[in-house]
Order: sequence, then structure tokens, then C-alpha cells
Amino acid sequence: MENINDYILHPRQVADKSSKETLQKAIKLALDVETDALRLNTQTFNTNRYRAVKRLDDYEELKNRARLIKEKSIKNLIPLISKVTKAIEARGGKVFYAKTKEDATAYIKKICLSREAKLVVKSKSITSEEIGLNSDLEKAGIEVAETDLAEFILQVSKEQPSHNVAPAIHRSRESISELFKRNFKTEKKLDTGEELTEFARDILRQKFLKADIGISGANFVAAKEGSILLVESEGNIRLTTQLPAVHIAIAGIEKIIPSKKDFGVFIELLAASGTGQPLTSYTNIIEPPLDLPVLNLNGRNDGKREFHLVLIDNGRMQMRDDEELKEALYCIRCSACMNSCSNFQTVGGHAFGGECYTGGIGGAWTVATTGSLEKARFAELCTGCSRCIPNCPVLIDIPRLNTTIKNRLIKADGGASLQKLFFGNFSKLGKYSSIVPTLTNFIVSLSISKLLMEKIVGLDKRRPIPRFANKTLKRQYKLYRKSNSIQISDVFKKGLVLFADVFTNYNNPQVGMATVRVFDKLGIPIKLSKIIEDGRAAQSQGLIESARQSAIKLAGYLEEIIDSGKEIIVAEPSVLALFRYDYKKLINNDYLFSKLEKHTYDPIEYLNKLLNHSELDLTGKIEIKKLNSDKIFYHAHCQLKTIGAGNTALEFFNKLGFIVEISNVECCGMAGSFGYKKGYYDISKNIGNELIKQIKKVATRDSKKVILASGTSCREQLRDELEETIYHPIEYLEKILK
Amino acid sequence: MDLIEKFISNAEEAAATVKIIRANANSLNDALIAATENELVLFAGPDDLDPELFSIFISNKNVITKPTKEQLSIISTGVTDAFCAVASTGSVCVSITKNLSSPVSMLTQKHIVVIDSRTIIPRPRDIFSENYLEGKGLKRSFSIITGPSATADMGPLVRGVHGPGKLHIIIIDSFDEMHVR
Ligand code: SF4
Ligand code: SF4
Repeated sequence: MENINDYILHPRQVADKSSKETLQKAIKLALDVETDALRLNTQTFNTNRYRAVKRLDDYEELKNRARLIKEKSIKNLIPLISKVTKAIEARGGKVFYAKTKEDATAYIKKICLSREAKLVVKSKSITSEEIGLNSDLEKAGIEVAETDLAEFILQVSKEQPSHNVAPAIHRSRESISELFKRNFKTEKKLDTGEELTEFARDILRQKFLKADIGISGANFVAAKEGSILLVESEGNIRLTTQLPAVHIAIAGIEKIIPSKKDFGVFIELLAASGTGQPLTSYTNIIEPPLDLPVLNLNGRNDGKREFHLVLIDNGRMQMRDDEELKEALYCIRCSACMNSCSNFQTVGGHAFGGECYTGGIGGAWTVATTGSLEKARFAELCTGCSRCIPNCPVLIDIPRLNTTIKNRLIKADGGASLQKLFFGNFSKLGKYSSIVPTLTNFIVSLSISKLLMEKIVGLDKRRPIPRFANKTLKRQYKLYRKSNSIQISDVFKKGLVLFADVFTNYNNPQVGMATVRVFDKLGIPIKLSKIIEDGRAAQSQGLIESARQSAIKLAGYLEEIIDSGKEIIVAEPSVLALFRYDYKKLINNDYLFSKLEKHTYDPIEYLNKLLNHSELDLTGKIEIKKLNSDKIFYHAHCQLKTIGAGNTALEFFNKLGFIVEISNVECCGMAGSFGYKKGYYDISKNIGNELIKQIKKVATRDSKKVILASGTSCREQLRDELEETIYHPIEYLEKILK
Repeated sequence: MDLIEKFISNAEEAAATVKIIRANANSLNDALIAATENELVLFAGPDDLDPELFSIFISNKNVITKPTKEQLSIISTGVTDAFCAVASTGSVCVSITKNLSSPVSMLTQKHIVVIDSRTIIPRPRDIFSENYLEGKGLKRSFSIITGPSATADMGPLVRGVHGPGKLHIIIIDSFDEMHVR
């Protein structure tokens, strides 16, 4: 990996993502010099988070409560603002409502100047980056010392934050050592974390002892008591807010919640979801101006403590009126959505982020606080894999926000690109190909067509284009049923319908047929559905209207099936997740949605359920030879995990007696069409290689490695690099069933 | 596991050291002397514990109860009390009041904190409930301290950044001796 300190581009040069070219440059920068540190650090947070939330025995309930409090607070924002103002003024503090960022910085500057401040110590505040506070104060001749060590690093390197909890997460210890050695002409050794920390601490301790004013952010503001909650690990927030006599806290208006009692719901959730700790070193609850006597360690003779709360609107009120993006106001900035995102782990916030807001949630915030849709173009890096959703402590549908931004960008760009139309209408291509599949496959495999596809549609020519099957599932099923009539069983009278999704029908009919044959063998009647567009492809390209139309039409058909007493099997996980998650918002009919949610299954998930209810007995039905020879590696599709069916194949094959090792990546990196696109091929491969590394390491000794992946795109990603056959779990089950 | 045991194990997991003693001024003096190793010590008069408990300790000549600005800036060991502690996280809650507990617990490099075993509550959220500590947590400013100050910003985990690198907790087990207010 190249060195970030010598790289041809500075991250600041690619912070504003208004143009597609800048986004591409930012991705290249990240892949060239940042991925190693990013991946190590975000994955550590992610692993710790999984462990920490397991320790919260009421995690799911806490999330629901947190969500409700945030919903209520945003709804009652205006009365809450008056309430907090009253509470703080009653104690002698001041509250300033800043409509714009200019209002905010002007107010803060005025206070600093009137107190003749020369040095301000500041603790981490992304909101202060949003309003451009430092440069405004510096222009007025006031020195600003960033005291959070990550912010201190960024102040030296002049970079923008790459993560909202650990803003210098893209930097390795080595790159920091080098940066400091170049920047501070010092004899001190700066080669370990301890040496670097001590060096920075000593510089900053002097700043603390001299500072005239302290400026902090706020994690939460309790309206009733005017109480502020600030979370940290280093201790710099305590010094910032308690050493100087004057404390200014900057808080977005969305940080206000009704009362101190609500802190209880958030503190454990925030620490667990963020750094993955039960609590960080310091959770500070302050009601300033504090009773603590003024210490005047700076040599001043300040008589009493002074406190200002600067409430920032800067687009938030408008965001509150935006039915689609409003949800982002619930964000408590824990960073779980970044740490659990494969794309973010790979490129971080310098590519997947803007001038200060990063990651999946950063797009909506960039739109709201800059007023520019284009600056949020990095939302394109959200593949919709959905892995962040279950990890968000306030249950924000993050991919949905990004789909909205993509959709608005399409309109702003004057219509969908050929690429988006190509993927968004994949089923039409499928239909055409099904008439002459060999010809289509032949044409797309020609190098000249690949070149054209790359030039015109933007498909990366290094990526094999998905092949269309010679015979669609629909045809194969018809032929098969001619000689194999549907089994009638006493137990499963009503039976199942296999949904013929686009991918299974045109690209992977063998998976559909395996499903049919397995269920036939087990005596469970199964039929094939009609072929109806589901909207998945359109939705992932941001073509929301088209996705909605498909969804409404298909949901009606699925309802008829369910009402006839049948269950629906979906072999393609991205389509199953569509029915069980995305349709909630697409069809906007809770009654129908809850039916879909209850009656659609992944094939293995369905069989596993039967096993659990003792409605199916597989004893004696499995090939003993396979059981003794095969070792399974299973990669669960990202969206399958999110809808809670990620582990069922593991459970199922374990129950049959197999040893199963599971992948530890959140997503394979292909994420539907993402990995085919020219601008994203390198990220996609970079992520895929993580998974492939893990598969190659699986120790097999005398057994045979069998690789299972339920998603079409996961299998494509793996096939690109591996010799072995990659099976859908149901295909493998067919092989081992006697 | 009872709350005390749980507290001790979680505080140790958070890299604090813990000692449990009987509730009398002699035991506390012994424990504090052992922990401060005769260095100069800043002592912030207790916010909630009975000052009687500290009566022997503050008569030691290395203990400074009214520090000058200079002493506040340079002395590296500090002793305070805490108004409660949390079992599930091993945290202690130090008040921010007219007393100097807060500066003493953040400016020093070694913070020694004394808690009463009866104020250990199950979970952090209980601090914000009227059902615990007579709602004290809802009425004041304080810091919930969990282990020493730490950072991973420079790469590996480092303890001791802007706040103390060492946190030593002394639990006064007062269930049988009622010396506490
Ligand atoms: S949906 Fe996937 S790609 Fe999008 S932000 Fe969430 S984790 Fe990242
Ligand atoms: S969107 Fe959710 S997961 Fe992401 S930072 Fe905000 S609260 Fe955390």
C-alpha cells in the first residue's frame, strides 16, 4: 500500500463529491492508501459491537424505545427548543438559535472576541466542522486547538474526518508517526502508540492550561433539565468543558430529547453500538454553568462560569419537512452503519462521505446541511446490502435514504443513465435472451461487445457478464412436470409455490429446478409461479417509481397465492428480502405486507422450520458418504442476514451432522449490479478477495471443501476467482439426499 | 453473582484495579496509603461519603486538601469519592460540584476513588431512574467513569491520555458497619 503522506492527491481535494469524476478519484485514493487501516479499525469496532450488544439482554427493546424517543422529539422539536432554552436561562446560561451556519459562527466569534480569547480548546464536534467554525475563528486571529487526538491528527494533516466516531480511522500508526516527524521537528521518539499519545498529550495539556474558552459538541441535550450528555474516552471533553470559565456547546437541534430520564435508554446503546464497549471511559452529564469554582489555571481572573448553548438549524428544520429524508434526523451518530458496511470498511469516509458527514447516513446529512444534492453523490456507494439496518440503534432504513438520493440525482441529472436503465430493466433483457440465449451469450462474450458495454453501459470489461441459461426455469419446469406429476401428500395438502424471480428464471434455472426436485422428493407439493417483475432491479438503481409499480402489481398476485393457503418459496435472497422488508414501504399496505412477511421463505429456511416443528424427518435420508467426506463453507447473503435468515443454512446442515464454517464478511462486495459497474469494480473485487482469502484458508485435512452461497451475485463473485463449483444450499441438499 | 462481585469483575475488565475494605477510617487510611505510595496527593473533600471516614487519611502530611493552582496543574495522584457505581460496567460516578472532585479526578494521572458498596446499582440506565439513589442522578452534574482514559486514535490502544492512566477503586463494604451518611 502506498503512503498517504506522499500521495498525489490530498483527501480535501476530493471531499466535495459534486462530480462523478471526483467520486472516482476519491475511491482510487482510498483504495491506494487507506484501505488497510480502515478495514482493520472498522472491523475491530464491528466485532466488538456484535459482542457488546449481545451483553444487552433487552437490545431489541432498547432500540425500539430509542426510536420512539427520537420520533417524538423531532415531532415536538419546537416546544422542546423553548423548554431547553428556559431551563438553561433559568440557571444563568445563554441559548442561541442559529438559523444558518454563518449565524452560528458569527455568534461564537463574537463571544470569543468579547472575552479577548486568544486560544480556544475544542473537543470533537462534527457539527462544528459542518459550520466551518475553525477557519472562521482562525481568520479572526483566534487559535483553535483540537484536543481529541484524532482531530489533532487531522488538524496537522489538514484532512477532513473519515469516520464520525474515529475521524482519523484511515490512518495507521506508521503514517501518523511519519506525519508527526515531518511536521514537528522533534528529537522525541515517535514510534509507538504510547510515544505518539504522550507527545500529543503534552502539547495539548499546555493548551488546556492556557485556554481562554472551551468549545464542545453534545451527544444529547435534555430539554427539561437543560442537561447535556457528552461521551468520550480520552478525557479531553472534561477538560474542555470544565477548565476555562467560558464553555460553548454546539448542538444540532436534533440532539434535543425530552428529559434526563431518557439518557438511560441511550447511554448503553450508544457505547455498545459505537466502539463496542459497555460504556466508554467517560460519560459526562453536565448542567452548565457548573457550580464548580472557576479554576483560572490559565492565569485569568474570570469571576464566574459562563455557558452558551448554540443550537444549529442549518437545514435541519427543512429536513424535518422532507418526508423521505427526515428519518436521518433520528441518527445518534454511533457509526455502527459505517463499521458494518463492507463498502465503508474498504474505502472509508474520504470516498464514502463528503466534507464532514460520512457513510451510509452521510448522504442525507450532506443534502440537508449543504443544500446540495450533488455533494451527496457518494450515496451511490450504498449498494443496498442492508447490513447496517439491524445494527442501527434507532432503526433507520439507511439504504432507503440512499435510494431516495439516487432517485433525486437521476432526476437532477436529467434522467437515468444507460447503465441504470440496463440494470433496472434486467428482466426485459432476460426475456429477449430467453428467445435466443446462445446468441445473446455469444454476443456479450465477444471482446468487442465487452468494450462497447464498458463504453456505453459502463459495465466493467474485466467482469464476466451474467450468462443467460439456454432454457428458462419456466420451460424446464414445464418439461419436468410432464413426466413428474405434483406429489399429493397428506401432511402438506395445500403445498407451496416457488416464486420464479428474474434471476432464477433466466440465469439460474438449475437452482429453481433443484428446489422443485428436493420438495418433490420430500413429498411436499410445489408449483412454479407466473413470471412477474418484482422491482428489485429497479429499486437498487434508484428507479423508485418503477419499483413501486412492479411491487404493487406483484403483491396482489402473491396475496392470491397466500389466500389460497399456500406458502411461497423464494430461492433468490435479494428477492425474498424485497418481499419481507422493502415491500413494506413500496406497497404501503401494512395488512398485505404482514401476510407477505409471514408466508414467504427461503427454501432451506422452510425446511429448517419443518425440522424444528418435527414435521419433517430426514433421518436415513442423507448420503452417509457425503456426511463423512464434505466440509461446508457457507456464505450467507447480506440481505438474507438482515431479514433474520442468515444462519438457517448453518443450523440446518449442522442438524444433519455436517461441519459448517461460515464467512465473516458482511457482504461479498458484488451486491447485485454494483460489482459489474465500471467505477465500482475495484471496490467490489477488493471486498470479494477478503471472502476468497477466508475460503482459501479453510482447513480441510482429509475432507472435501464444499462452498455454498445463496445469492446469485455472491456466487458470481466467487466464481470469478475460485475453481470449485459454488452451490446454492438447496442444490447441495439435492446432491446429498438419498 | 451479587452486585459487588459483578462490579469488581467488570471494573477490572475495564482496566481499573479494585480493593474492598471495611467501613472505618483506619481501614480506609491503610488502603489509601497503600495506593498513594506516600506521594503528594490531591484530596477533594467527599461529596457524598461521610468525611469522618477520611479523617485519619487527611492528617497525613503528603495529602493536600486545598491545592494552589500550581499544585492542581502538576500533582499526579488524586483521591475523590463517588456517589454511585454501576455493576454491569464497573463504572463509578464522580460529581461535578463546588468541591474539587471533578478536576482532581481528571487532571491527575492516577485517580483513586472511594465508593460505598450500598450505592452499587445494576445498570447505567438506573442512574437516571427515580427508583435508585433517591433519584440523585437526575439532580446533578457528574461523570460516569469507566476505567482509565484511553485512545486508539494513534493505532493501538493506549491508556492514559488527557485523563488518568490509572484508576483505583476502593469499595467500602458498609453492610455491617454503618459509618456512612
Ligand atoms: S445498505 Fe449496505 S452499502 Fe448501504 S450503507 Fe448500509 S451497509 Fe452500507
Ligand atoms: S444511522 Fe444509525 S447506525 Fe448510523 S450512525 Fe446514525 S444512529 Fe448510528
